[in-house]
Amino acid sequence: MADNTVIIVASVLGAAIIGACASLAASKGDSVVASKALECMARQPEQAGNFQVNMLIGIGMVESIPIIASVIAIVLVFANPFVK
Amino acid sequence: MGIAEAASSEIIHYAPTQIIPGVVINMQTVYMSWLTMAIVAAIVFAATRNVQKIPSGIQNILEMFIEWLNGLMESNLGVEGRRVVAPFVITLFLYIFIGNELGLLPQVGMHFSSPTNDINVAFGLSIMVSVAVYIIGVLQQGPKYFRHLISPFTAMLPLNIIEELSKPLTMALRLFGNILAGEILLGVLNELVPYLLPNLWIGFSLIVGFLQAFIFTMLTVIALAPVFKVKH
Repeated sequence: MADNTVIIVASVLGAAIIGACASLAASKGDSVVASKALECMARQPEQAGNFQVNMLIGIGMVESIPIIASVIAIVLVFANPFVK
Repeated sequence: MGIAEAASSEIIHYAPTQIIPGVVINMQTVYMSWLTMAIVAAIVFAATRNVQKIPSGIQNILEMFIEWLNGLMESNLGVEGRRVVAPFVITLFLYIFIGNELGLLPQVGMHFSSPTNDINVAFGLSIMVSVAVYIIGVLQQGPKYFRHLISPFTAMLPLNIIEELSKPLTMALRLFGNILAGEILLGVLNELVPYLLPNLWIGFSLIVGFLQAFIFTMLTVIALAPVFKVKH
């Protein structure tokens, strides 16, 4: 077994857990924003453009944290700082 | 170099080169950034030759973007605010938008990548925006602009400082994470099913690039809003 085996195994496992949790979080968060926006668009169809713009802003803000988590997972797999 | 590092350097190249001892610059990022600047300059130059009253062609497209951005700025900053910061905000949006989409081009001779897939570019832009908000604030309101840190009461100072530090951090990480993850996934999909599968992801990435540029610009405009509202 090479020197780094435990670290590599732990990093890959950690990246997998991060991936699962990030995708769950992103879906849940985006669905709340989008469903509220759809509801409001159905109540006031003439303001639909306004709601759509604000929904996109909201989705962008909500998705930022899962994407940062995905970047951490990518760093663990590809550019692991513990593996020389 | 391990296997993972070799694999990742096939997907995302930064081409770090040492120009003087101790200074390492990612040359791929610099070249792509220059290319983005050239494309933005070419688009705006081409749109402002023979300016017509009733626009058509590229002048029409550019005017669509500028009118839309002007609308955003006016609703958040007022007419005076729009007059002050419109060139800054429009340039920022065009640079980030074209930069995000540049990484989706196929490799013809040279390898195209987005300048914003580098963490340095993302942080450079967000720190520039944060410092610019302060500079514009001091130019507009004088040194008492700094009183916004202790408003509404002095005990809010730590919270306001944390907010001022976390805004550029989240702006940069959001932009960088979206674009880097998109490019890595594009590379991986290309390895799996070469000419069919990446097209779907490129379609989605076009929207993501525009959305991230819009969100960055919108956060800049919102960060500038407290500067321009002291006219009672």
